[in-house]
Amino acid sequence: MNFNPLPYPIGQAVIFWLILFGSVTGIVLAIALFTSLVARGLKGPAAVLGQVRDFAVDMIRLSPRRVFALSSLTFKEAIRRKALLIFVVFALLFMFGGWFLSGTGERPDEQARVYISFVLRVIGWLTLPVVLLLSCWGIPEDIRARSLHTVVTKPARRNEIFLGRFLGFSAVGSIIVVIMGVVGYFWIVRQTPSDLVARVPRYGDLAFLDREGNPGRGVNVGDMWEFRSYVEGATRARGLWRFKDVYPGDNPDEGLVLESRFEAFRTHKGDMERGLLCELSFFNPETELRVRHRPFQVKEFSQNEIKIDRKLSMYDEETNTTKEVDLFDDLITDGTLYVEARAIDPGQYLGMARPDLFIRMANRPFYVGYAKAVFGIWMMAILVVALGVTASCFVKGPVATLLTLTFLIIGQGFREFMDRMVFQNLNNVLAGGGPVESWIRLIRHMNPQVPMEPGVSTSIIQFVDARMFDLLWIVQHIVPDFRHFRMAPYIANGFDVNFESAIVPGLAVMFGYLLPCLLLGYFSLKLRELEAK
Amino acid sequence: MNRLSSRNRKVVYLVGMIVLLVPIIVLGMPAASGEGSGGYLARLRQEHDLGETSLGEVDPSSATMNLVLLGLRGVATNILWMQLQEQKETKQWFQMKATTDSITQLQPHFLKVWQYHGWNLAFNVSAEWDQVEDRYYWVKEGTKFTMQGSRRNERFPELYWDVGNMLGKKIGRSDEWQFFRRFYKSDPNTKLFEGGPDPEISRFGASEFEDNYLASKYWFHVANDKEESQAQHIMMRMVFRQYPARAQMDYADALQREGLFGERTGQAWAEAYRDWTEQYRTGDPGFGQEIFYTPAGGVRLEASEADMRELAKKDSVSLRDKRTWTSRYQDIVSYRYWRTRSDAESRGKTEAAHREIFEGQKLFREGRLLESKEMLEAGMEKFASLLEDYPSLTSDDGFIEEGLMAVLYWRHIHTLLEIPFPENFALRKLWEKEAARIPSLEIDFRRDNGIG
Amino acid sequence: MQTENVIEIRNLSKVYRDFWGRRKVQALKSLSLDVKKGEVFGLLGPNGSGKTTTLKLLLGLLFPSDGEIRVLGKPAADVDKNERIGYLPEESYLYRFLNAEETLEFYGRLFKMPAEERRKRADELIKQVGLDHARRRQLKEYSKGMTRRIGLAQALINDPDLVMLDEPTSGLDPIGTREMKDMIIRLKEQGKTVVMCSHLLADVQDVCDRIAILYAGELKVMGRVDELLSEQDETQLLTSRLNDEALAEVRQVLERHNAKMLKVGHPTASLEDLFLRTVDESRARPGRRFMPGEDGAAGTPAPAPAATPES
Repeated sequence: MNFNPLPYPIGQAVIFWLILFGSVTGIVLAIALFTSLVARGLKGPAAVLGQVRDFAVDMIRLSPRRVFALSSLTFKEAIRRKALLIFVVFALLFMFGGWFLSGTGERPDEQARVYISFVLRVIGWLTLPVVLLLSCWGIPEDIRARSLHTVVTKPARRNEIFLGRFLGFSAVGSIIVVIMGVVGYFWIVRQTPSDLVARVPRYGDLAFLDREGNPGRGVNVGDMWEFRSYVEGATRARGLWRFKDVYPGDNPDEGLVLESRFEAFRTHKGDMERGLLCELSFFNPETELRVRHRPFQVKEFSQNEIKIDRKLSMYDEETNTTKEVDLFDDLITDGTLYVEARAIDPGQYLGMARPDLFIRMANRPFYVGYAKAVFGIWMMAILVVALGVTASCFVKGPVATLLTLTFLIIGQGFREFMDRMVFQNLNNVLAGGGPVESWIRLIRHMNPQVPMEPGVSTSIIQFVDARMFDLLWIVQHIVPDFRHFRMAPYIANGFDVNFESAIVPGLAVMFGYLLPCLLLGYFSLKLRELEAK
Repeated sequence: MNRLSSRNRKVVYLVGMIVLLVPIIVLGMPAASGEGSGGYLARLRQEHDLGETSLGEVDPSSATMNLVLLGLRGVATNILWMQLQEQKETKQWFQMKATTDSITQLQPHFLKVWQYHGWNLAFNVSAEWDQVEDRYYWVKEGTKFTMQGSRRNERFPELYWDVGNMLGKKIGRSDEWQFFRRFYKSDPNTKLFEGGPDPEISRFGASEFEDNYLASKYWFHVANDKEESQAQHIMMRMVFRQYPARAQMDYADALQREGLFGERTGQAWAEAYRDWTEQYRTGDPGFGQEIFYTPAGGVRLEASEADMRELAKKDSVSLRDKRTWTSRYQDIVSYRYWRTRSDAESRGKTEAAHREIFEGQKLFREGRLLESKEMLEAGMEKFASLLEDYPSLTSDDGFIEEGLMAVLYWRHIHTLLEIPFPENFALRKLWEKEAARIPSLEIDFRRDNGIG
Repeated sequence: MQTENVIEIRNLSKVYRDFWGRRKVQALKSLSLDVKKGEVFGLLGPNGSGKTTTLKLLLGLLFPSDGEIRVLGKPAADVDKNERIGYLPEESYLYRFLNAEETLEFYGRLFKMPAEERRKRADELIKQVGLDHARRRQLKEYSKGMTRRIGLAQALINDPDLVMLDEPTSGLDPIGTREMKDMIIRLKEQGKTVVMCSHLLADVQDVCDRIAILYAGELKVMGRVDELLSEQDETQLLTSRLNDEALAEVRQVLERHNAKMLKVGHPTASLEDLFLRTVDESRARPGRRFMPGEDGAAGTPAPAPAATPES
């Protein structure tokens, strides 16, 4: 995982969601109408449409009072079933947690990173299993004990039962997350010697010029990781950043603070006593004004802060004079700032990636970023509750638990792998074929480059594999991307959690699943006989 | 029995839990840095040198982790290794170090794992960083990590040897050795160590640890001690056992490389000679006095004809065999060369030769050509007579290059002063014999002095 | 008033199927019956006869395989009808972690009623069912009888027009049974309709106006309890205690009218007899509607509202 927060295209996401949701609903409805027509004649479709109408009616006549009654029942049930015993585990982990986290005493920032990751991981790992088990067992247990009979024979609607369960378990999850979050905060603050802040970065876009000065890419210096591109020193190679919405801050005399985290790569020893030099220059494409800033030494894997004064002096070659330039008035037009980065030492390279240079906005207090990260865990817990309650509406407790757990594991751990497989398959760059083909290749010790001999069996294999990939594609589009809730890297890296690239996608994923879950849960409860078998 | 109300019962449970926690903390708390800290068990462990089935120190967290994982240790370790690989690829070095720690917590007695990761941190990760201070930090991390591993596996000599090797070779012989050796004495993290050394690797600046090579010698000594009861599997036994003495030589050599001449260097060489041939200062027999077993029975490297005869009689092998095997073993570790070298270097004349050549070169760089010429000539004179006293040194690369370089400086001074280069000079014999080496040395000379 | 049907069941069938949709049990076969407003209606039958299935179909807990149900004029699946219904399940399937107050509070909140009234009613009901001393105890600590009582209280929380009771007296001691029966009679007096199913015949006999006896999913007998149990061929005289002389005289009078004195004693005809006869007959001749008058007695049960096809 590289730390590269990209803005989330919320508009596109909503449209995509609407298309997906609309088409799935449409397909399901069409299938239901057709099969009911075949099975029961004209009465069938009428019944199907009646169900749709019922849903609309039930949604309109939803009673907050009943939802509240059901959710507080759920809440009481969870508490009386001793769900909060999880706090004992939590307390133990925190009491002894310090013992396990070996100190890299020389680097307080790294120590803080370890503690922050630990706390967030503990909160996540303790909250999720609790809400998962609670939500997956609630309704099935209710059906098994037939206590649901006394509820559905009252004027409680199925959507109210679903929502009551969902909100009740969400409340349990929220309490757990909030208490653990608060305790965790004080624990971090007490354990960490240095003052913690949440830095606020403003990222730009990055383009490269190659060594001849033409638009292109930097060089790969042999890393398997293709995150950074390298710019050769003393050539025309450059990294070009464009930052938008750069305006003077509260104090008009202040300039900007940039922060860089370039990587250095040496092709020869060079001067070992100093780091490689990097020079930033600012230019305004409209006025062709270009100001070179004082070079700085690159310190790898740590924060390099570069203060840019508002008044910059530049040497004018035409007039051989030094003149003063104003950062905001002369170099920035319409809030857009262009920054060029180049390496100075010949034969040495500087590695750059988009998040390697950014403008530092005013710091926020640590608890702001921390609270947002905890909020991320909360959103995840809520989504797990929604999935669990939905699953428990149509299968029994153990199956619902497995199902939800599978969603969680696939959505978090296998997401990357799945995305890669689907991408490679769609772009025909998948080496070795699908699962069946790969298996055969493995058994027969066949190189993935060797084509399969054409024939009936190969066609069958490829057909099966293609369907497997279709299935994978469907799974990829159904299983939620739990990675969107991971805000820990932000604050562990000392940053504030960005709203556009972290909170918005989290919210989008959470809300994107709530309506489908409600629909699925509602109809599962409505269309099944609640008599336990 | 049942007279307690439900609430009171809960209070009793709570009190019981707290009461039970107290002994856990008193007994089980692991030792922090320094002796006498931590819980009772930790102190007992230090006192009695006890460990997990006496393999080495037990880390309670490691034991707990294994307990918590039940039978899934192998799976967890595999996942951690994969994670480690990814972190390495994406250059998340600190996270990688944390993963490394977790792996060794799961497998605290897997020597290869300690060796691999210690090496990885001190050599590979260190090299990924650009600034010398950072590189030194990672060398230290690797060394500390290996030290930790050695404590967990106290009976085994391997990791002790690795620590010695890192403190010696990695700090003293890598490209950055000049920085590293300086950093060893005065850590670049001045904020934390206030200009002093890092106490963890220098034992709080104890005098036996004032130099990285001396520290290395100490660790090699410990490795040798352990090796007496537990065989090592790194290299041939004899090669393994020479390291404390060799570290002493490296120490003396490093002092010379840094231009430190005089009594201290001489004494260092003299001690190296004693270590090599007679006896360590600790009272242990010197390297040359140890007996190593060969197909022709035991051999001692520092052996007179009479000694060999005695040994041959004892093992009932022929004297010829004994002699052959002794000589063969001596060749393996260049025993005779190092004996001569340390002997020669401990003499005042040698010291003076080295010093005068070094000083002469320094004077040249300062532009004091006439003084330099004089100094070089005096040095070359002593150097020539040294080579006559110890002919075997004429086949030593270090000596040959030092002599030739002195001549190159001296010759260049003549060019600069526009005086003819004399036909006859002290090191002429060497100059002519090793003429083939001159061109490449000349390149070095020009580069070092910025001569186009 | 007599004509208003609270429950109408027409040709109701229920087939239980297994996971693969294969027919497992036919629990109900073409059942048709009506329940009128203000009456206490009893569903009787041995275990597995379909009486609980009928009740659950009425409540919408099960879906009919065929036929039609209207409860309070609405389909069984309609949620709104529940505003006027109270249901006491067979065993009180309540939330065991709640106490009596919380239970009534929770169920009360599911109905449209002001908080004030809800609290008042809950308090009244707790007192009425005699749980005042245990109102703060969790239901898991309740005895069986107490659980039944709180179950009844929750069924009445909304002051329902139609009360459905599944085995209301099972598990109750004689006093509890008496109280439950009194409660049912009180409900009837309040003008509520009660549908109960039970196999405790004495209870049914005591409180029900009309009954239906089900066997193997089929309706076997239906009618007013007093009519079903009265023996038309016999006349029962009830007098104050007679001495032997008077008895002899009475006997003479009877002989003169060509009648015989069959038995002297107290009347004992009971529902139990009827029930057992019905079951025996159904076993002997499956698929036939049982007519109590057939074997000598010329009883005419109240005609079924719709023709029930024979076999």
